Amino acid sequence: MSDNTLNIFEQKAEEMTATHIIPVTAVFTQTEGGFVSLDLDGKHYDRVKIVRLFPFSDADKYLSIREYEGDGKEIGIIEDLDLMSAEAKEVIKAQLTLCYFTPVISKIYSIKDEYGYAYFHVMTDKGECRFAINMGSNAVSKLSDTRLIIVDVDENRFEIRDVDALSQKEKRMLDLFL
Amino acid sequence: MNKDLKLKKTDIEKLGSLGIEESGILLSSPIDLSFSGEYIEGFIAVTADKVVVCTKEVPEGYLNIFGGVTVPDDIKYEELAITDTAVYEISELAHLRLDTYIGSNVLSASYKSVPTELAAFTNRYSSEMNVLFRKLKGFLKGEEITQDEENTDEAAEDIEEKKKKSKRSIFFRTLKYFLKYKLQIFVLFLTYLTSAALSIAWPYLTGKVLFDHVLEKDDVFLARFGLDGRYVLALGMVALTMIGVKVIQSVSNYFQVFFMAKVAAYTVRDIKTDVFDSMSGLSLNFFVNKQTGGLMTRVLSDSERVREFFIDGIPMIFVHGFTIIITFAVMYRLNWKMALIACILLPLLVYMTVKLRPGLWSLSGKRHRAEKAVTAKANDNLTGARVVKAFGQQDAEIVKFNHPSENLRDAEINIVRLRNKFTILYNMVQEVSSIWIWIVGVFFVMKTHEIELGVLITFVGYVMQLNAPMNFFSWVFRMWADSINSAERLFEIIDAIPEIREKENPVRLTQPRGEIELDNVTFGYRIGRPVLKNINLKVKEGEMLGIVGRSGAGKSTLVNLISRLYDVNEGSISIDGTCVKDLALSDLRRNVAMVSQDTYIFMGSVAKNIAYGNENATKADIIRAAKLASAHEFISKLPDGYDTIIGASGKDLSGGEKQRISIARAILADPKILILDEATASVDTETEKAIQHSLKYLVQGRTTLSIAHRLSTLSDADRLIVIDGGRIVEEGTWDELYAREGGIFHNLLDLQNKSLPRANESF
Repeated sequence: MSDNTLNIFEQKAEEMTATHIIPVTAVFTQTEGGFVSLDLDGKHYDRVKIVRLFPFSDADKYLSIREYEGDGKEIGIIEDLDLMSAEAKEVIKAQLTLCYFTPVISKIYSIKDEYGYAYFHVMTDKGECRFAINMGSNAVSKLSDTRLIIVDVDENRFEIRDVDALSQKEKRMLDLFL
Repeated sequence: MNKDLKLKKTDIEKLGSLGIEESGILLSSPIDLSFSGEYIEGFIAVTADKVVVCTKEVPEGYLNIFGGVTVPDDIKYEELAITDTAVYEISELAHLRLDTYIGSNVLSASYKSVPTELAAFTNRYSSEMNVLFRKLKGFLKGEEITQDEENTDEAAEDIEEKKKKSKRSIFFRTLKYFLKYKLQIFVLFLTYLTSAALSIAWPYLTGKVLFDHVLEKDDVFLARFGLDGRYVLALGMVALTMIGVKVIQSVSNYFQVFFMAKVAAYTVRDIKTDVFDSMSGLSLNFFVNKQTGGLMTRVLSDSERVREFFIDGIPMIFVHGFTIIITFAVMYRLNWKMALIACILLPLLVYMTVKLRPGLWSLSGKRHRAEKAVTAKANDNLTGARVVKAFGQQDAEIVKFNHPSENLRDAEINIVRLRNKFTILYNMVQEVSSIWIWIVGVFFVMKTHEIELGVLITFVGYVMQLNAPMNFFSWVFRMWADSINSAERLFEIIDAIPEIREKENPVRLTQPRGEIELDNVTFGYRIGRPVLKNINLKVKEGEMLGIVGRSGAGKSTLVNLISRLYDVNEGSISIDGTCVKDLALSDLRRNVAMVSQDTYIFMGSVAKNIAYGNENATKADIIRAAKLASAHEFISKLPDGYDTIIGASGKDLSGGEKQRISIARAILADPKILILDEATASVDTETEKAIQHSLKYLVQGRTTLSIAHRLSTLSDADRLIVIDGGRIVEEGTWDELYAREGGIFHNLLDLQNKSLPRANESF
């Protein structure tokens, strides 16, 4: 057995278990093609993937920055987006808005349930929407007592941030899912 | 829904101005997102040399319509002006990628060597875009774009289809289940009618007849029965009739309950059987997508709800309808003025029920859900008791349990509160209305002599009796809707078309040789996410093939495809030269046995578990199989030997023991093709050696596919393949693969040898 390969594995194991924190000095820039590139410790990444590790409970903390090509190896973790440079913050936020596209429901006009499907007519921060959910599957998940994620038949996501902020009438319509 | 997939006329005109003919458009798909994450309208079109992406900003108040929703008729979409057009030369495009994010997807490519976003869209267009992506990708590689008609929009069509299935057809279809028991239903109906007729007769008998004719010594009336002058006898006759009515009512009630129970039990059984039959025919996908718990409630409570309406509801519609009409008729015949006055408060009662009941329903729905949450939490805790105790979390769990528990308490209190309010109000109005009748009636009797005492008593009886039917009609519609919904859900299962279907006139596999061939197989559990990519593999008769790869590489998926638990997306799998899709499923499953990493032990004895699917096995066969699987030793040590009850309610076996039982099961099944998916993962090294030893006999004359992380398990394999990222990356004998310095297998083996130096001394 060659010691060489063993070293490779030792190295790999170490890499797999190590946690890298991305320093606030890391440079994130918007590329010409609309992606995010990263310069870190003299290394340049053309395009990186940004993954929220706590998309619901802490959306802007603990962002995993990953290589785009191949298996998407983790480059490191941003602990707090607010501490990054203004430019980095801006490009990362823009990217996240697109990748985590989830309209937030601000008003419910109607919910009709029929034949195992519920039809929603709502106003969101992205505009007025009508969508259908399957009542048989777990289309509405409760993140907390007052926060809901609703997944339509095509797996588009909609969010209700605070059920208590809705009117009595809207709440009554939602009752079916609370 | 807003799925006008064809390009609009104005869009084509716009493309025309760019020099693109309609006939030159090879592919197109709508898109609906801007890169900044706003809804837009737009499309992407592909011609022989260009890719054009047009976007149109949407105006304020624009309504976005998603999958499964039909466009309301009153909404007109105005033509939007194209605000942005991007044209890409195909010759400069490369590395097309489609990235799926949360709720959005981005199509990107490298354009003039710069990675560039081409288009973004939500999941509503993902199937269209996936087709476009796949074909465009092939086109970039130099393949032709084929214009095959693909079923791109199954989900939407499904819903459309469902809408077409009208409530009426579901109703009649459900009715059929009950009409099977014609005689019983007929008797049931008869009893309903009898009790309705008797309940109408009763107030008349106890009021008008008793008071106005008999007690008033009305000879004209009595003469009709030949009883004029014989008042005591007449009174006796009335009393007898009253007793008779009560007796008949009781007898009819007895039959009613008897037949109802019978019909109900039978029909519920029929429905459940149908559902269960169809469920067992469904492919694995169905069960993966739906929770088992949800399915259980469907089968159990939905059939119950259907029964409720059809047995308690429908006959009662007739009976109560009949009662109401006849009662009104009789009342009007007796005295129309009195009838009008008596009924004056009835609408108020009906209004009250209609108004208050929905609140009660929504509250009881809430309580039901709270109940479910409590049960789920309790269930979670009890099954996880070991972990809870190990982490010392009892107190924390008690606190966590409090929350749903309190919710349930509140829901319960709310429902009791509303119900009380409702009942008290209702009773009050009812009392008021009966007092009202008494007051007006007494006025009529005493002052105007318009009616007599008996008529008044009859009226009071009738009005009281009208309450129940009125009430019934206020909620029967709800019952109807509920029951039809339940029936619809049941039919959804009964009608579900299994994804894995046996061909008509399938090929029988009588003398299998066990040759397996995979030709260019691509498969993914979800669209656009292939787990296996272009796998080509040939396994000879009697060969033992070892499959190596990281977890998640697609090994288990590969073997699942061979026993056709799923169907391939592209390419084909054949056994003995026949495509598995053409083979009879029973033959296929009989000849392919799988021992997988998740073993399942059924409730029953050890012997029954080993002989599962092989009822004719003799005791000697079972023991031999257990011996070969190294299970005999531990089984003989069980208190009841081979008769020990194991599984959910019986003795708990260790992971390794379960695994050995499932190996014995496969050995006994004597299949031509044996699949071992981490079959020895949870047994100790010594036992594994023993099993391997017996497997040596077992695999003789059989084609064996064996997946293992522990490479030593595969030392007897004739050939090995290494799967990585859904592709076969290395292939060859043990020695050939080990000879490849830097190869995955070589590295893995080195690593395992180093970690387990002693275990490997044997080879």
